[in-house]
Amino acid sequence: MSVETHGHSNPHHEHPDVVGSRNRLGVILILVADIAMALSVLFVFFYLKGQNVNDMWLPAATEDSPAVFALSSKGTWYVTVLAGLGAAAHFYGLKGARAKNATQLVLGGGVALVFSIAALVYQFIQVSGAPFTTTSGAYASCYFLIAGLNTLHLVLTVFIALGNWNRSRLGIYAADHWHVDIVNVWWIWMTVSSLLGAFALSFA
Amino acid sequence: MTTMMDRSASAPGQAAGKRPLIERLNIVTALVLGTVSAVVVWQLALRFLPETPETSLFFNREDKISLLSLIGWFVGFMTGIGALIGPFRWALGKDLNHDENMFLAGKDQGIKRYFRYTTDHKVVGIQYLVITIIILFVGGTLAMLIRTNLGHAQGGWIQPQTYNAIVGWHGIIMIVATIIMITGPFGNFIMPIMIGARDMAFPRLNALSFWLIVAAVPPVFISFFTGGITTGWSAYNPLASQAGLGMNGYIAFICIFAISTMVAGANITTTVVKMRAKGMTWNRTPIFIYGVVASVALALPAFPVFFLSQIMSGMDRAFATSFYNTAGGGSGWLYENLFWIMGHPEVYVILIPSVAALMEMAPVFTRRPLFSFNLAVMGIAGISGLSVLVWAHHMYISGWAPLLNAPFMLTTELISIPTGMLFLVLIGTLWRGRLWMTMPTASIYALLWNFMIGGITGIYLSDVPADAFLHGSMYVTAHFHYTLMGAGLTGALASLVFWFPKMTGRMFNKTLSWVSFWLVQIGFNVTFIGMFLVGLAGQPRRVESYAEVFSRGNLITTMGAYTIMAGMLVLLHGVISSWRSGVKAPMNPWQAKTLEWTVPNPVPLENFETLPVVTSDAYGYGKAKS
Repeated sequence: MSVETHGHSNPHHEHPDVVGSRNRLGVILILVADIAMALSVLFVFFYLKGQNVNDMWLPAATEDSPAVFALSSKGTWYVTVLAGLGAAAHFYGLKGARAKNATQLVLGGGVALVFSIAALVYQFIQVSGAPFTTTSGAYASCYFLIAGLNTLHLVLTVFIALGNWNRSRLGIYAADHWHVDIVNVWWIWMTVSSLLGAFALSFA
Repeated sequence: MTTMMDRSASAPGQAAGKRPLIERLNIVTALVLGTVSAVVVWQLALRFLPETPETSLFFNREDKISLLSLIGWFVGFMTGIGALIGPFRWALGKDLNHDENMFLAGKDQGIKRYFRYTTDHKVVGIQYLVITIIILFVGGTLAMLIRTNLGHAQGGWIQPQTYNAIVGWHGIIMIVATIIMITGPFGNFIMPIMIGARDMAFPRLNALSFWLIVAAVPPVFISFFTGGITTGWSAYNPLASQAGLGMNGYIAFICIFAISTMVAGANITTTVVKMRAKGMTWNRTPIFIYGVVASVALALPAFPVFFLSQIMSGMDRAFATSFYNTAGGGSGWLYENLFWIMGHPEVYVILIPSVAALMEMAPVFTRRPLFSFNLAVMGIAGISGLSVLVWAHHMYISGWAPLLNAPFMLTTELISIPTGMLFLVLIGTLWRGRLWMTMPTASIYALLWNFMIGGITGIYLSDVPADAFLHGSMYVTAHFHYTLMGAGLTGALASLVFWFPKMTGRMFNKTLSWVSFWLVQIGFNVTFIGMFLVGLAGQPRRVESYAEVFSRGNLITTMGAYTIMAGMLVLLHGVISSWRSGVKAPMNPWQAKTLEWTVPNPVPLENFETLPVVTSDAYGYGKAKS
């Protein structure tokens, strides 16, 4: 391999766009793994529903236990709507960052944080109020799996939104805002993931 | 020993003489915090978790306690090593400063940097090398226990349940070791220099991927004392749901390892896509890089599926869900699908980088350009693409979707075409080359031989009628050892000898490399040809005793295994003695043309004084003669 050695002479000061582009690709690749897992969860749901082994997707009533009925999917759609509103608020903040409007950035980030917490709390209330347990057959198992994945995503989102809002508040994004761009990628995926879960549960 | 950090300046608010947190965390704090967390969680769970109802089929409460304790271990260990500092500092808006980053890079810390959350890719590469050797050593010891027991038809000196646990433990440990044996040490140490980068794209993620593996190891080791992995490495459900507490160690191990693999995959791929030297177009990118990227890119979507399968297995055990329990509407076939959707690409996650490493060495030791670089790239891409479409050939006999047997047979057999391309590239490069006979050169021939046997026997197994006869026999065991060990490990051992001078600054002892090579290769072929014979004669796998008629084949196999062991011990001696007191290596002992050989030994912290600009490919050894 022929080389010349008079290339980049200032390695420690990469342009923020270069660093941002690299980080963005890294996050997208990690999301590929998360997407693979979310799609696998959907596969599990539809596979077990399609198989309905021993008629136990939604078990009928027995002497020991009542029949299991599928939950209305409204609750999961509400979580998705809250996540979507959070994503929209974050995007509003991102537009502020692009326009060098620090107030809009902080406001958008703060509202996004509130929506992420609201979605998490609502998700928790919904799961804790489910009229069945983990032992109530295949549908219940899938329900808790989907809810668990969504809860995990929401916990991460609260952490990320909190960090993003705090950094915005401290004025760290005044010079460059690639972090905010990348957080936007996460918000979009998190909303889509929640939507996929709600979609699946609508077909129970 | 000094560090770059001006403590009073870099840690405002710290009391005089008190070291900042980032400097105090290391493997000892990790082990202590991990153990304390596990014990605290265990005690809390014992006290507060309600008793399992008597109607419960399995051991749900014990499983909950066991899994929670393992999660406690994991969180404690990762906190103790310092993995959470970066994310929390980010959230607090207090990003690591230059001095702290230099400390994390291990600057001027000597040997201590190998026991910390060090981000320098060269340190991570060495860490991976050492842990790979340790895991292979443990896995190899277990293999010897298996073969010693099978040296006699009645077996007998290992209890059957213990034998099953040893087989499962050997399987999963070796699978993990072979997955990381190329992309871990050489993908981390060599790859960034080879593409002309100063480090990986995400140095902290790089350290994370390594320390996740360290965190994953104790659960699987502990599992041996809590009932073991009695299901074999595939941990089929519902068998795994009904197995003892040892399965929880397996579940924790796989989940943590899968996260490590995902993180490493994203990191390596980003590094190659975004950080290649100026002028290093895709046509000038060394073939080893293609192999590493193909491997991690395959793992990236495959391992989350495995992760999910184990999460569900854990839920079935701890919460009595019904993913795999047919009584509750679950399906064992679901597990088999999820497992093999990961399981077959995983074979190529292991194989491709090994073959690519040998393709990288072939031009060096024949002093010829790589024969048809484009064909090599096409072969790697073809294998990667097809490998995700073949998983159900492992399930012909399970009864799942018989109508799909023929399509899966077709896709599996199609994979011989891109595999053949890689053979053609290697043979074309060797053809009429001026051979420089070293251990890596001989390894290329060994790979061609072993991989040919592994590949051809695989065609029989992909054929539905033949598989009906051979499935579950020792023939299958011999087949996958020919691919994973005969091809995969052979490439890894050649890589070790080839890149040893750059990684350690010392030449690998030539005599020991040759002695080891011949012992391992002869022993390997004796072992597994013997295993083919008993498999064809009908001996099932995963048995601790067998009919007298298989005695001779098993005795031959056991003798071969001892020969491999001797070879591996010679190799281990070679690694230790060469590292400690080997001949000092020149900068480019092989006169190779890739970029890692243009940097001095030891490699400077940031690899290059000034970043190189590439003006040609890495195989300019003169014009190839047909």
